[in-house]
Amino acid sequence: MKVKFFALLRELTNAKETTAYTAGTVRQLLDALCGAYGGEFTRWIYAEGSAEGQRQLSGKVIVLVNGRAIEHLAGLETALTGTDELALFPRMAGG
Amino acid sequence: MPRPDDRMAKILMLKPEKCISCRTCELACSFKHEREFRPSASRVNVLSFEKEGISVPMMCQQCDVAVCVKVCATGALARNLETGALEVDDNKCIRCKMCIQACPFGNTTYDSVSNRILKCDLCAGDPQCVRFCPGGALTYEEASSGTMAKKRAFAAKFKDAMQEVSK
Amino acid sequence: MYGWVGKVLRVNLTTGEIKKETLDPVEAKKYIGARGLGTRLWLKDCDHLVEPLSEGNNILFVTGPLTGTLATNAGRYNVVTKAPLTGAMAASNSGGYWGPELKYAGYDAVIFEGKSEKPVYLWINDDKVEIRSAEHLWGKDVNETTDTLRNETDYDAKVACIGPAGENQVLFACIMNDYTRAAGRSGVGAVMGFKNLKAVVVKGSGGIKVADNEAFLDALVRAREIVKNNPVTGQGLPLYGTEILVNILDQSGGYPVDNFRDSGSTPYAEPTSGEALTAKYLVRNKGCMACSIGCGRITNVPDGPFAGFGEGPEYEAGWSFGADCGIDNLAAIIKANNYCNELGMDPITLGSTIACAYELYEIGAITGVETGGPLNWGDAAAMVELTRKTAYREGFGNEIAEGSYRLGLKYGHPELSMTCKKQEMAAYDPRALQGMGLNYATNNRGGCHVRGYMTAPEILGIPQKLDNLATEGKAGWTKIFQDLTAAVDSCGICLFLTFAIGGPEIAEQLSKATGIEYSVEDILAAGERIWNMERLFNLENGFTAKDDTLPPRLLNDPVKVGPCKGAVNHLDKMLPEYYELRGWDVAGRPTEAKRTELGL
Repeated sequence: MKVKFFALLRELTNAKETTAYTAGTVRQLLDALCGAYGGEFTRWIYAEGSAEGQRQLSGKVIVLVNGRAIEHLAGLETALTGTDELALFPRMAGG
Repeated sequence: MPRPDDRMAKILMLKPEKCISCRTCELACSFKHEREFRPSASRVNVLSFEKEGISVPMMCQQCDVAVCVKVCATGALARNLETGALEVDDNKCIRCKMCIQACPFGNTTYDSVSNRILKCDLCAGDPQCVRFCPGGALTYEEASSGTMAKKRAFAAKFKDAMQEVSK
Repeated sequence: MYGWVGKVLRVNLTTGEIKKETLDPVEAKKYIGARGLGTRLWLKDCDHLVEPLSEGNNILFVTGPLTGTLATNAGRYNVVTKAPLTGAMAASNSGGYWGPELKYAGYDAVIFEGKSEKPVYLWINDDKVEIRSAEHLWGKDVNETTDTLRNETDYDAKVACIGPAGENQVLFACIMNDYTRAAGRSGVGAVMGFKNLKAVVVKGSGGIKVADNEAFLDALVRAREIVKNNPVTGQGLPLYGTEILVNILDQSGGYPVDNFRDSGSTPYAEPTSGEALTAKYLVRNKGCMACSIGCGRITNVPDGPFAGFGEGPEYEAGWSFGADCGIDNLAAIIKANNYCNELGMDPITLGSTIACAYELYEIGAITGVETGGPLNWGDAAAMVELTRKTAYREGFGNEIAEGSYRLGLKYGHPELSMTCKKQEMAAYDPRALQGMGLNYATNNRGGCHVRGYMTAPEILGIPQKLDNLATEGKAGWTKIFQDLTAAVDSCGICLFLTFAIGGPEIAEQLSKATGIEYSVEDILAAGERIWNMERLFNLENGFTAKDDTLPPRLLNDPVKVGPCKGAVNHLDKMLPEYYELRGWDVAGRPTEAKRTELGL
């Protein structure tokens, strides 16, 4: 599966995309990415102060699975398969 | 030349590379001093060079050896020992405008609407332009840290060149 | 008066008469300023059925009560007139420094009536106002005009002017101020050109007072803090500009390609994205007067055929000259956008019209005979050259200058014009964003994205995430966005604030500035009033419910690839509810009860 990074998430991960991680759910995949990319990246993804496995999204990122926002799928528990593509954006925009 | 007050003074630093040309400083300044939004009464002015995309905010630099003070015939220009700022006493000032001629930077201006000499007085130690500047182009810092950052940035160029040569 | 400065300039270009009038405080309170007040003043003075390019169509430059103060992003003004492109009401919004300067000169608005026999400009220098000859400026582009005028009036004067496009009455010519800011849409520049009004120059040494100094300062300090800490306004926009949207829309499957033939993950997005712009061509960011965001992009393409220094592009221009034409060359897009700034044209309509021409060429509806050369998808050089020619109505540029609606109609394919009410839509595919589709279809000035920016909830999740493919609830949301935007556009502050702050912060700043208590409900009611006023004008001019629609491609041809594969826009599921929520009958007309409620 592929994870694509945009805007300043690219600076934090030093990558535009990666295929190095697989997981069964969005939550597990995000946990793996946070483990790999460290503190500041994690602070963009997850809200502070809760234990791993129960963390909530920080509200600062848009998470798309195959172009669909996870709010309209099963949220963090959305199941993933090998051909899925995730896109992660910091929530920033214009007009 | 030793300062009259030997306490470490803060200085208003300009970083034009961070100026986004929003002129918020002009609005904050005029509102603080005149209680209206009137850039022509602002003590700070943003000078824009549109063809180069560069803007420079300019205000009185509170020179230690102040030419404006030297030419002032009535002693209306004097230093505030607390803030280090040069201030105009409107009652003593005769509007001869010699200070405007004398300032090498053009930082003293004349407001025809209120018939007064305008110059930055650091807002008695709490400069409003700094408070509102969104880009960090205006900061109010301890004198040593303000100058060191620029020195360090330039020193880094030497460091890079030396590393390049040693490869 | 507080906030407002209380005076309106009325200039008759036919007789040369200049009058100074008092701003009616009753109208000011009811319609606030800028878009609302300007529209109201136009409707009072003009024959509603007047031809846009005729003497009877007044053009107004109107600020808001907050314009020129330290309120959040309070640098805006509106140009209000009947639109040459659409025949609807144009109230085109611009930033920069011109609007605040008009207030420092002592005027809330300038009204231009009639038509000058020879090219002129207006020089407003506090209470000294004069009409001066502009014959030596006619034909000059925006940069040269602005430079010349600063030298002959006051170096610090602010200039709003037209370029050759406005002079040649290109139907989507715009008015540029402060070199690179634009009152962009619907052809307001053509009205100035028709009137032989080359520029309006202003220098002001006065100021603006507010009703409650301490409370106003307190309100704006708190609002500015929120704006600073918000990820969109505090980081995203300053770092990447509006182009940050390219990848987001593309990944979400809503970035239209090749004249809206499709949307979906495309090869055009990454090379033309905000990330690419920042990495390759960004010099520094820039803000309008009193702005704390700084979304403006100062850019430089150092060499090559598209070299040049300027400001932009914004997201919409990046798309209209890019993906919409099948082009992935960012330098070429910048060049086309620079032409738009220098010559004074709307990049959205222009790019979309070129895309329409590319499709007409592909199907053989037009050939090299009409176009003077090939117009193939992805041809960046042809797109840039056509941009330049359009301003001068040269060759095929003369046809482009009429907009895609007239182009498509002329060559037998009106369905290939991606317009609503003859104005081109922006860079969000209505099949992927259902609510944006409803906004495009019902927008009073035609295909317009800003006035009902449903992208915010549907894609960005601001204030909350709505399912872009769903139709439920979109009618209610669209109405709120349209009403709130109308109010924001009338205060004189920048719409981008609404990514961070909302009704409460806006109402508070407005109230403390003017001394008039506006609640959030009052703000929304004023917005609704303004929306209905515009709607009634359109209905008078023959617009009907039939015009609240989208091009057939977007209603019938499903998206072929990507996350929104299979989607069409289901306008029929949203429009009836929209009419109902608006208090309109099934023919889309405001009922008598609604008009009474709004005081219209």
